[in-house]
Amino acid sequence: MKTVLRIVIVLMMLSSSVFAQKYMTKNGKITFNSDAPMEKIEAKNNQVKVIMDATTGDMAFQVLITSFEFKQALMQEHFNENYMESPKYPNSIFKGKVTNAKDVNFTKNGKYNAVVEGDLTIHGVTKKVKENGTIEVKDGKVTVNSKFNIAIKDYKISIPGAVAGKIAESVQIVVDATMESLKK
Amino acid sequence: MKMWLKVVLILLVLGIITAFGVFKYINKPNKDIETAKTDYTLKADDIYKEYAANKAKADSLYNDKVIEIDGSVSKIEAPSDTLVVAVFTQKQDTTNKVKSDDPFAELNADGGLRCTMLQKYCDITKKIASATAVKIKGLCKGMSGTDLIFEKCSIVK
Repeated sequence: MKTVLRIVIVLMMLSSSVFAQKYMTKNGKITFNSDAPMEKIEAKNNQVKVIMDATTGDMAFQVLITSFEFKQALMQEHFNENYMESPKYPNSIFKGKVTNAKDVNFTKNGKYNAVVEGDLTIHGVTKKVKENGTIEVKDGKVTVNSKFNIAIKDYKISIPGAVAGKIAESVQIVVDATMESLKK
Repeated sequence: MKMWLKVVLILLVLGIITAFGVFKYINKPNKDIETAKTDYTLKADDIYKEYAANKAKADSLYNDKVIEIDGSVSKIEAPSDTLVVAVFTQKQDTTNKVKSDDPFAELNADGGLRCTMLQKYCDITKKIASATAVKIKGLCKGMSGTDLIFEKCSIVK
């Protein structure tokens, strides 16, 4: 009986050390694309912080707004000073979870479809979102990819009339983050 | 030439010059940080301490400025072939107990100055050994959690 108990405890400890695994990166990538009739705008950010708990599926993103890089310096200035008001709202945050995390086997290479649900806060406004993406496990690293759209007026981002035709009402967000396991 | 014609021509030339100027302004490229004038020269530890002590003050002084820092590199991270980051780890103040349900707790547990290098410096940066003294010039983007972010970084000889 004692041996069985010992084995059970060891097995539990082993499984928890594998599954209580957290993955993170401080340099995930987010690109957003605005395809408006007058202009096509793209901005990239390589300073995205992502953390994910493999057991619970909990996932969080923190995006430093001033790290979005535009080709046009003027557009980058307007983006930070007028549209996103970066000094007031320096980060965009996502807090949620991968609802089908238990379908993912983090111990071997594989690619899975994922459904992510949670609270997305942009420009100080929080909205519930539910999006699709993929999770790829490769050689101990976990890569999350997702492509989805957001309506900028949902987040109280107002574009002045003069440039209204240059920015799309719905902006595409592309997420690409490769995380490494947290060394305990 | 008739007076009115001269006036029209002058106005036309002025108009073209103005339009050209506006066009250049609208399409001004991002500043080349590597060759830009340095706004401040500081020790990595010092600028981090300033942000940690008074973020608002440090934001107004250093955000979006070209800064040269010198310090001892803690580690080099290479999240991808085209992305290399020189990290100057700073000891974190753990006296304020963070809420256990803070999802960013682990991300913020170790923080410091993170310098994202320009493409051309990626290879040379990867070769820098831990605890090497370096001088790096970059664009300060401010604090993200417990990390002070510098971008478009180059190594100063």
